[in-house]
Amino acid sequence: MPTLDFVRTDGYAPLREYAAIGDGRTVALVAGDGAIDWLCLPDMDSPSVFAAILDERRGGRFALAPEIPFESQRRYVPDTNVLETTFTTAEGVVTVTDAMTLGRGGLDPGREVVRRVDGVTGSVPMRWRMEPRFHYGGAARLTQRGGVPVATDGATAAAIRTWDAGEAIVSERDVRGQFDAQAGSRALLSLAAAHQEPLVFAPRDEIEARLDATTAFWRQWAVERTYEGPWRDAVVRSALALKLLVYAPSGAIAAAATTSLPEALGAERNWDYRFAWVRDSAFTLNALVRLGCPSEADAFFWWLLHASQLTHPRLQVLYRLDGGAEARERTLDLEGYRGSAPVRVGNGAADQVQLDVYGDYLQTAWLYVSRGGRLDADTARRIGEMADLVCEIWRQPDAGIWEVRSDPVHFTQSKAMCWVALDRALRLAAGGHLRRPRTERWRHEADAIQDFVETRCWSEEIGSYVRYAGATELDASLLLMTLMEYGEPDCPRSVATIDALCRELADGPLLLRYTGEDGLDGREGSFVCCSFWLADALARVGRVDEAAALMADLVELANDVGLYAEEIDPRTGAFLGNLPQGLVHLALVNAAVSCERAGIR
Amino acid sequence: MSVWGAIAGGFVGTLVLTTALRAGSEFGLTRMDLPFLLGTAFSADRIRAKAIGYVLHFVAGQAFALVYYAVFVAIDHSGWWLGAIFGLVHGTFAGTALIGTLLPLVHPRMGTPSTTADRRALLEPPGFLMVNYGKRTPLVSVVAHVAYGTIVGGFVSLAT
Repeated sequence: MPTLDFVRTDGYAPLREYAAIGDGRTVALVAGDGAIDWLCLPDMDSPSVFAAILDERRGGRFALAPEIPFESQRRYVPDTNVLETTFTTAEGVVTVTDAMTLGRGGLDPGREVVRRVDGVTGSVPMRWRMEPRFHYGGAARLTQRGGVPVATDGATAAAIRTWDAGEAIVSERDVRGQFDAQAGSRALLSLAAAHQEPLVFAPRDEIEARLDATTAFWRQWAVERTYEGPWRDAVVRSALALKLLVYAPSGAIAAAATTSLPEALGAERNWDYRFAWVRDSAFTLNALVRLGCPSEADAFFWWLLHASQLTHPRLQVLYRLDGGAEARERTLDLEGYRGSAPVRVGNGAADQVQLDVYGDYLQTAWLYVSRGGRLDADTARRIGEMADLVCEIWRQPDAGIWEVRSDPVHFTQSKAMCWVALDRALRLAAGGHLRRPRTERWRHEADAIQDFVETRCWSEEIGSYVRYAGATELDASLLLMTLMEYGEPDCPRSVATIDALCRELADGPLLLRYTGEDGLDGREGSFVCCSFWLADALARVGRVDEAAALMADLVELANDVGLYAEEIDPRTGAFLGNLPQGLVHLALVNAAVSCERAGIR
Repeated sequence: MSVWGAIAGGFVGTLVLTTALRAGSEFGLTRMDLPFLLGTAFSADRIRAKAIGYVLHFVAGQAFALVYYAVFVAIDHSGWWLGAIFGLVHGTFAGTALIGTLLPLVHPRMGTPSTTADRRALLEPPGFLMVNYGKRTPLVSVVAHVAYGTIVGGFVSLAT
């Protein structure tokens, strides 16, 4: 385990130093110094109770660490989402085990963060402090119920219970305590939350049993994953990270667990990723199937059908985790990570026109059917209507996969995905899965799209497909033309485009997303999923040695516990953007499986 | 006045009362969940507890409607306004004595102000006027009970 060189800047931990714990409803981020700086209650997309990651002074946190200088090392308990942080001090060593427990069917708290402190050697003075701030840095009323400190705010409440962790001192702003962790001792802290119901105060033995059961559940879940290739640890960690992002009640997968962690420090590129993107759907279903997660794959597909029903036949770019279509964007009165304002909740991209989502949707349906799924009559009718819509709208300009806020243009990848949409509709029709398909029209329009892409979106000068019709710029999303099987995988133009992207966008193992304008200030880091797409594409066109070398480099770029943020600064290696980022972990899984299938062992 | 009016009023009134409490919860005014509180007296399983709790709540709604009816008969007066007053008294009684004080004493899974360490999970006690579940809980509860009483009183007086 690497030792964390932990330094906060203006009270903010490096984004690379965060690990995630969760319970299928919400996710907490734990910094390398033991502070929980992010937690939303009751769900991932609810308002926060701890948001120090977005406002160090006002956000609220749950700190737990030695009082004296320390070094920390972390790991997940193997094949679980249970985090273990070992603090080494001059006085001794102590281990903190953090988890969000999973209900066992009894009278469990609605949500529960458990922090177990085991003294390993010596006697380490420990200090803990919980500062709850409901509704993104708002107030909390702190009181006691039968000696139990309780924080309340309207429909949400949280109780902190401790055993052998010193006397809990309750003030207006926080609950705090301190104790000595002696070798062989065990202290326990539990944060139990309730929403729209009374709190549940659980006894110590129940909490410890729940922690053990949670560990066992994750182990069992990880054992059932089917990948056995050369990057097994990274793939299983990605699977576990994705499982944290699955919103259990609906099966939707959030793009990330956070909002407004900046893509560029001090710039305006701060977005709320606690929604499910249609764009991720094909990757998601593919990865879930490849990992041997049939129930999660089915749940996700039915969530997608359910959510898109509200806006049929048009697709929104993203939907709420509960399947709702409302995602109104607003800014919060928080200073933002290291002063990177604004902090946004909601996402204005929901209202953009992005044509590529139709290709993702039809590809997802095709993948579902390919693995034996059946479409009911209503779903089959709606898929046919969506293909008809693609025939009508593919000539429009759009905002593209990267949701640029500059003027709409004819993005190459969007057009190619419209072709994918019609191609998959034709495949579904050929398999007898659609009712009264208009195959002649779909075939005619698919040919027209291909003609547009091949004549308007190819540059002889550069020797590559380009970012949009008539452009001279490149875009890493062009890799998706290979991954989504636009044309033959090893056709000369696809291979030439891969070469051009490596030449123009690569910075070491990382790729920039694109060159050119996007309507926003500031420059972002390298979008990590693009690099995994490149590895995937290289494997698919048979360049297995390059793919394997790139995968090996990329796996090394994860943080100490195997997680990725959306972007990495190629100069410093710092994480940028929201985390843990589902699309990166999806891309890792898909690239690893493609490499394995290409013969890399 | 008719006992059938009381039964019908009790049914509709309980529907409205339950909906009002649920709406109060959705609007962030209270964390009170009466079916959950009642059901957990009989089961530690959350889902089963809520199912049992809803049944018990409706039975209690009918029982209170019959008590209202008995008092209407005894004083030979009824009407929606008298029902509203009964609802006010009922809501205040529920918040102070019935749920606030008696329920924690008989509920096997609820903490009381004197509870210390226990070997099983306990529910947060409601406190005086149930304010532990939110400062606006008494308001929500009384308004819901006044609506219940108004409906029962109205149904009883309308039924012949």
